Amino acid sequence: MSSNPENRPSLYALTWRLPIIFWQLIFFVGPVLFMVAMSFFLVKNYRMTEAFEFVNWSRMLTRGFFWDSYWYTIGIATLSTVCAMCIAFPAAFALAFRASESTRRWAIFLLIIPFFTSYLVRTFSWFVILSESGVVNAVLGYIGLGPYTMLNTNFGTLVGYMTLTLPLVVILQTVTMANIDKNLIEAARNLGCSPLRTIWQVIIPLSKTGLIIAAIFCFILSFGDFVAPFYLGGSQEPTLPILILDTTKSGQQWPRAAVVAIMMMVTLFAIAFTGIALAYRKGKGAK
Amino acid sequence: MSKPLVVFDKVQKHFGNFVAVKELDFEIREGEFLAIMGPSGCGKTTTLRMLAGLEAPTHGEIRLNDRVMNDVAPHERDTPLVWQSLALFPFLTARENVEFGLKMRGVDKAERKERAIKWLDKMGILEFENRHISTLSGGQKQRVALARSLVMEPQILLLDEPLSALDAHLVIRMQAVLTDLQRELGITFVYVTHSQSEAFAMADRVIIMGKGEIGQIGTPKEIYRAPANQFVAEFVGRNNILAGKVKSVDGGTARITTTSGEFTVPTNEVQLVEDHNASFVISADLVHIASEEPVGGNKAYCKLISEEFVGSMVTLFLEDAQGHEFKVQMQERELSKFDLHSGDEIWLSWDTQSAHVLNES
Repeated sequence: MSSNPENRPSLYALTWRLPIIFWQLIFFVGPVLFMVAMSFFLVKNYRMTEAFEFVNWSRMLTRGFFWDSYWYTIGIATLSTVCAMCIAFPAAFALAFRASESTRRWAIFLLIIPFFTSYLVRTFSWFVILSESGVVNAVLGYIGLGPYTMLNTNFGTLVGYMTLTLPLVVILQTVTMANIDKNLIEAARNLGCSPLRTIWQVIIPLSKTGLIIAAIFCFILSFGDFVAPFYLGGSQEPTLPILILDTTKSGQQWPRAAVVAIMMMVTLFAIAFTGIALAYRKGKGAK
Repeated sequence: MSKPLVVFDKVQKHFGNFVAVKELDFEIREGEFLAIMGPSGCGKTTTLRMLAGLEAPTHGEIRLNDRVMNDVAPHERDTPLVWQSLALFPFLTARENVEFGLKMRGVDKAERKERAIKWLDKMGILEFENRHISTLSGGQKQRVALARSLVMEPQILLLDEPLSALDAHLVIRMQAVLTDLQRELGITFVYVTHSQSEAFAMADRVIIMGKGEIGQIGTPKEIYRAPANQFVAEFVGRNNILAGKVKSVDGGTARITTTSGEFTVPTNEVQLVEDHNASFVISADLVHIASEEPVGGNKAYCKLISEEFVGSMVTLFLEDAQGHEFKVQMQERELSKFDLHSGDEIWLSWDTQSAHVLNES
């Protein structure tokens, strides 16, 4: 392969590619490798010392609290994905099929605006709305309901996750569905498919790839998010990112935190690969 | 003839300020092959889509079997359409595509499969039943699209330029497939096209549309030999159109003076009045050429500008001294006797009965 001069990148091309390669090596591959190494280090008298022991791995993976946190995080990230996909769908559907081209462009622009503000600021603003003396409970109070506890609950965590993921999920779903060939929808109607059934029979199969990618993004963001479960969920049940923070704080257990981080990465890789494979899977009969 | 299956009663379609269909009044007979032909933007596809319920008429009524269809949703109609783009579902196999409509109608699995297989077999593509759409050729896709609509066993099949994406040799083959199918099944076909050869080759009757209006309804022969007006005469093409003033009317014939000379025409049913404007057409294939000046009759002396050679037929483009264009269509082997070159001058002539007076000028 490399013997063929045509395949060898020119010096010019290399010059342009090198910065990103160095960046990835220094700031991604390097730290990940270091983290893997660190998971075998030991902590003695609050000081990390180089070693090659499996004690961190066995400690973490045999503890009930780790697995409780692991499955809780997977569960709530899945719930977040389901909620975001369901809440986003009607909006994306309307933008893709009912709105005009210019309305759609404006909507996508407006959906990008939340990313201008820090996610942390947006999360804090929920306090005003969700707290027991907040806006929602005040309104409910008028009709004789509540007050309900919404902060420091799973509900709070989910609201935080939605703040993070919903705009992105709506954008991804809208773009996917706007690209559907409208003739196919009309063809389905023409063959006796009611409008509601068209969604299941035609629109979802046609936008499968984009919808799965939106779901993967939503899961990854929720799974790794620290802010929502910490501030709005009150870390009643710690998610894995909170567990990492707790582990580093309590007794400088960086190696054990590394174990958690590696487990998270492996999980995300597995889910992302499975998702992408599903998204691009060809049905039977395809060449 | 047979009773009307579909009636368009003063149907109009507006898109905002744009009038796509001005006013349509026509009937579709049961069991006929009707072609709706016209240039792009003439409203022919809109007409077809209104029949399928994909567009609602702004004014007027569309009746199918005496039932007013205006407010019937597309999925509650039995008017399957074959799309120009075919609109086959890419996530389904050929057979699943054919089964789709039956599934929506609640036909059980075993019957669905049986009927889909019957139609795939009829269309000669049964071997591809489990193939995905993307792996099929253009002609095969076409047959899947037809099977998908026909498996519904409709009374009427709508076709929107279904052959326009095919290679020329496939078009001829599919035309035969379509006409055979239509005769065999006895169902009504409504075929929208911009192609005169497709419309004339297949249809029992043709509707010529222009600018949202009907130019003429008739058999292909009627339209070809006796275009109703200038628009139809020009659209059908290969027509020599001459316009002038009526000099005299004498029983079944009239004399019309044009810039290119004075000609005798049969009056047909058209009321010709002396000193009024009138125009008439002569099909290019009814004009003869001669090197010597013909004695009497209708004639014009023209210069050859160019020729268009299509297989055995040749079309000559000529101009008389006044710059009026004439077209002559003839067999290539006939033309070769004359040894003509661009710039050569020659006599044209035609029988009085070959001319056809237009209704409006």
